[in-house]
Amino acid sequence: MLSIKDLHVSVEDKPILNGLSLEVKPGEIHAIMGPNGSGKSTLAHVLSGRDGYTITSGTVQYKGLDLLDLAPEIRAREGLFLAFQYPIEIPGVNNTSFLKKALNEIRKHRGEEELDAIDFLGLIKKQMKLVEMKEDLLKRPVNQGFSGGEKKRNEILQMAVLNPTLAILDETDSGLDIDALRIVAGGVNKLRSESNAFVVITHYQRLLDYIVPDFVHVLSNGRIIRSGTKELALELEERGYDWLIEKSETSS
Amino acid sequence: MVPGTANNFRSWLREHSQLGEQSQFSLSASLRAPSLAVLETEAFPTRKAEEWRYTPLKQLLAQSIEPLTGSSIDTDLLEQLKDSLTTAYRLVFIDGQFSSEHSNKLTDDFPAGLNIQLMAELDPESRQRAEATILTSKLSDDNIFQHITRGLSRAGLFIKLDRDIEIDIPIQIVYLSSTNSGVSCSTPINVVCLEENSRLQIVEQFASLKGTQTVTLPAEYIHLKAGAGLVLYKIGLESEATDHISNTSVQVAREASFKSHQYLLGSRLTRSNMEVHFSGPGGEALLRGIYLGDNSQHLDVRTYLDHAQPHCRSDQHFRGIMSGRSRGVFNGMVLVREQAQLTDARQSNKNLLLSRDARVDTKPQLEIYADDVKCAHGATVGELDPDALFYLQTRGISKPDAALMLTRAFAAVITQEIQIDTLRSQVHNEIAQRLNQIETSHV
Repeated sequence: MLSIKDLHVSVEDKPILNGLSLEVKPGEIHAIMGPNGSGKSTLAHVLSGRDGYTITSGTVQYKGLDLLDLAPEIRAREGLFLAFQYPIEIPGVNNTSFLKKALNEIRKHRGEEELDAIDFLGLIKKQMKLVEMKEDLLKRPVNQGFSGGEKKRNEILQMAVLNPTLAILDETDSGLDIDALRIVAGGVNKLRSESNAFVVITHYQRLLDYIVPDFVHVLSNGRIIRSGTKELALELEERGYDWLIEKSETSS
Repeated sequence: MVPGTANNFRSWLREHSQLGEQSQFSLSASLRAPSLAVLETEAFPTRKAEEWRYTPLKQLLAQSIEPLTGSSIDTDLLEQLKDSLTTAYRLVFIDGQFSSEHSNKLTDDFPAGLNIQLMAELDPESRQRAEATILTSKLSDDNIFQHITRGLSRAGLFIKLDRDIEIDIPIQIVYLSSTNSGVSCSTPINVVCLEENSRLQIVEQFASLKGTQTVTLPAEYIHLKAGAGLVLYKIGLESEATDHISNTSVQVAREASFKSHQYLLGSRLTRSNMEVHFSGPGGEALLRGIYLGDNSQHLDVRTYLDHAQPHCRSDQHFRGIMSGRSRGVFNGMVLVREQAQLTDARQSNKNLLLSRDARVDTKPQLEIYADDVKCAHGATVGELDPDALFYLQTRGISKPDAALMLTRAFAAVITQEIQIDTLRSQVHNEIAQRLNQIETSHV
């Protein structure tokens, strides 16, 4: 589904990703862990198509498409979703009409009929239960005046409604208390299936108690220095990142 | 002074400045004379004058003006304007002439206590009141265009509401231009007097057929007596071949309230000057507005709030959206005089530039001579938030659609304050339509 090969990315001539490779297949959950500044968020931004990053070499194939060649909205319509670490507040844009527009753009792209207001409301109300979100948040402007936890839940709600093929969760656990974390993770677990995949970017092992990954990758200095199963995350929790980073530096 | 041919604006003024038959004009000869004298002696402001340095008058003054004809009208356009209010007392001017066909009857259609007359046909008592109101009105920017209207006006209304009367149905005043041959000039003058504790809403709509060339120079004089309340909507939808320069002077007495909503969406050149003078303590003025420009439109909004009395509150919020090569100007003056203790004055001006060549000059001015006051002002000029654009794109919304959503949202902060539902949705649609045009032509 997603195949990243030897990706090099820099920001204002400063290299951030230095030869990152990753294979994601349908039905899999991959966790990407690593210390601050290792390039985790850069990876999420590059995959979703944010401006300001220069791809110096490497390729990213997504469902057989050259992902880096597509505009952000086309990536989204092809089923790629990014849950933001810091969701943006958009004053004056109603949360419901925004999400209806987004869903219908994606449906149009797939050649499906657009949902009318009534069908959409039925869908969104069902999905709101998944993230235990209060209904009045639907009437508010996108993320405006939402608490940190409400913003993250709103991201998961959007994911549930848009039903992506590949979802990237960028530090969705940051700033969440344990109840919100449980709700957010519960949402992800209900959405996972044989045909979709998740890339969960996190600094802490804690989230992986709730969203159990098939693979764990450790990112350092813009490269994956170690891949393993969920046990690797537990080891990192115990020993920190330093031993791995030192090891990779001595071996390279 | 504009040099050149006989066929320009100045020569048209000269021809029309003769004192003619009283019956034709809005004001009496004694009131017209001083204004005509101003037209004789004063030059048009050039861009060397600070107040006019941003306002380009060259095109306006180079035009030769044809007489107003009161020709046939586009009924679709009129119907559309009628639809913006489900119920209203309607008064329609077409090419500067009152259209009794499309208006309510001036004699019997209005409720008791509401007196509406044509300025050119006032009864003696009303004329005395109307002209006294004009004479006691203040305009710190005593510009020549006010005098053109005073000297030459043949159109406009006197509206007076008796004390303690509250009217829920708005008064709709429509100014339509439809002349297709040549440039015409219309100079409506309105006088609005609200007696103690009376309440009224007025909706003024300026519209024209596409391509119609008009110079519209409205002047408005409003007196609100103690405890009175007026809500004034002004919607400018004229074609981009129009010039529109308006002057509005409002006097707000003790505990009276003035609310103004301006939507300036049309014209090649718009300059709206609105002044509020507090004449008693406890008054309130709430000014809202949007100016939206594209192509080479020039939109110039001026406000002047004279806090000459204590305990008054003013709150201004204007937003500009400029695209193409258009230019916006906001010039807002808040003057708090020494005796105006406990003034609460707020002013905010936010501008959105949608293109590289668009430009805004914002000049908020605050002059405070009292020591116990609350005053705040702020102005911003910016582009669409790139983070918000990207966020919408990652949800499948194209960049132009995302830009449109964000721009509409920027305007909706102001439009949502329109209290009349049908009018709010009409203004909303009009803005959306213009933004759609901008998107298709530039993105």
